[in-house]
Amino acid sequence: MDDRALIARVLAGDSGAERLLYDQHVDGVYRLAYRMTGDDDLAREYTQETFIRTFERLDQFRGDAALSTWIRAIAGTVVLNGLRKVKRFRQREVELEEGVAHAATARRAEPDLKVKLEQAIEDLPAKYRMVFVMHDVEGYTHEEIGAALGMPVGTSKAQLFRARARLREALSDFAGEWAS
Amino acid sequence: MSDDRFEDFLREAAERYHVPPEVPREDMWLAIAEARRHSVPRSRRPGWRSWGIGIAAALAIGVGIGRLSVLFNEDPSVAATPAGEPSEIPVAYRVAASEHLGQVEVFLTGFRADARTGGPVTDAAPDARRLLATTRLLMDSPVANDLVLQDLLEDVELVLIQIAQYDARPGRGEFEFIDESIDQRSVLFRLHSAIDADAAGMPYQGAL
Repeated sequence: MDDRALIARVLAGDSGAERLLYDQHVDGVYRLAYRMTGDDDLAREYTQETFIRTFERLDQFRGDAALSTWIRAIAGTVVLNGLRKVKRFRQREVELEEGVAHAATARRAEPDLKVKLEQAIEDLPAKYRMVFVMHDVEGYTHEEIGAALGMPVGTSKAQLFRARARLREALSDFAGEWAS
Repeated sequence: MSDDRFEDFLREAAERYHVPPEVPREDMWLAIAEARRHSVPRSRRPGWRSWGIGIAAALAIGVGIGRLSVLFNEDPSVAATPAGEPSEIPVAYRVAASEHLGQVEVFLTGFRADARTGGPVTDAAPDARRLLATTRLLMDSPVANDLVLQDLLEDVELVLIQIAQYDARPGRGEFEFIDESIDQRSVLFRLHSAIDADAAGMPYQGAL
């Protein structure tokens, strides 16, 4: 069933079509949310929010792009907004509990490539991280990223370039790992 | 070391970054169905027009209270309060400002989401103009005594002006311009902070 027919059935109140739409797109949304958060609860929350908004606004889908692109765009917005809230919350937690900051420092003192890479990716600005995860981890094209995040293809490429440059700098202690 | 080698290394290493578990489809579907059962249809939510009227009314009351306070205030110590102290802002103005900033936050978040997802943003301009009018009222009120809040209102004013003039036609590229304005000045973050601080009974400056 193509997107247009599926949407028509959903808008007509066909609950089977709702489930079909969900099944067709949920994996990609959850994977992206999990890659961005590393947290099952948050990934579930963002995925659920994405589909709630999708169903709520489906009557506004104009069909200019594929349905998958439109849903990814909603997911991108939900995840980025959600991460901002989480970041603010965590910043406050760290400010309140000095011990957390000490623990984080201690972790950074044990340079293991995997840990360092994860930390470096997490330290990227949310938008850079989103582009990096979508392109280098989930295999999206720049055209798909641009459509999903509402940015020109050139911006997507530039943000990926900057993200990689930051990671390269953060991982400079491990240069031998890829130079050899 | 070559760029290609680093990119290959990075791509390989990144595949192990936050590897997702099996997708909990059923659990999430049940949660979505439950949430949708309790959600209010968009068509039944209050529009910007009614919010705008409410805020304007709150401001009008604030202006009235402020003028009465000046007329009947015989305590010279009030006038001696240092300029820029949030506590100096009369409660009615503070309530109106907090409510207004909340509406701006919701509006900007919704506008961005709609613009990014291809939703209807053509009706954003009238809403932006209404919010702009209230923003300017606040900028001319005692709220402006808080310099940080005044700075936030000026940035909000700039973004709302851009949205009021927004042309949604393809290829105009105006949304990126607005989006950058919001990001570069951290407008949404500062709105959140100001609202959160007010809700917690803290002065605006403590959160900004």
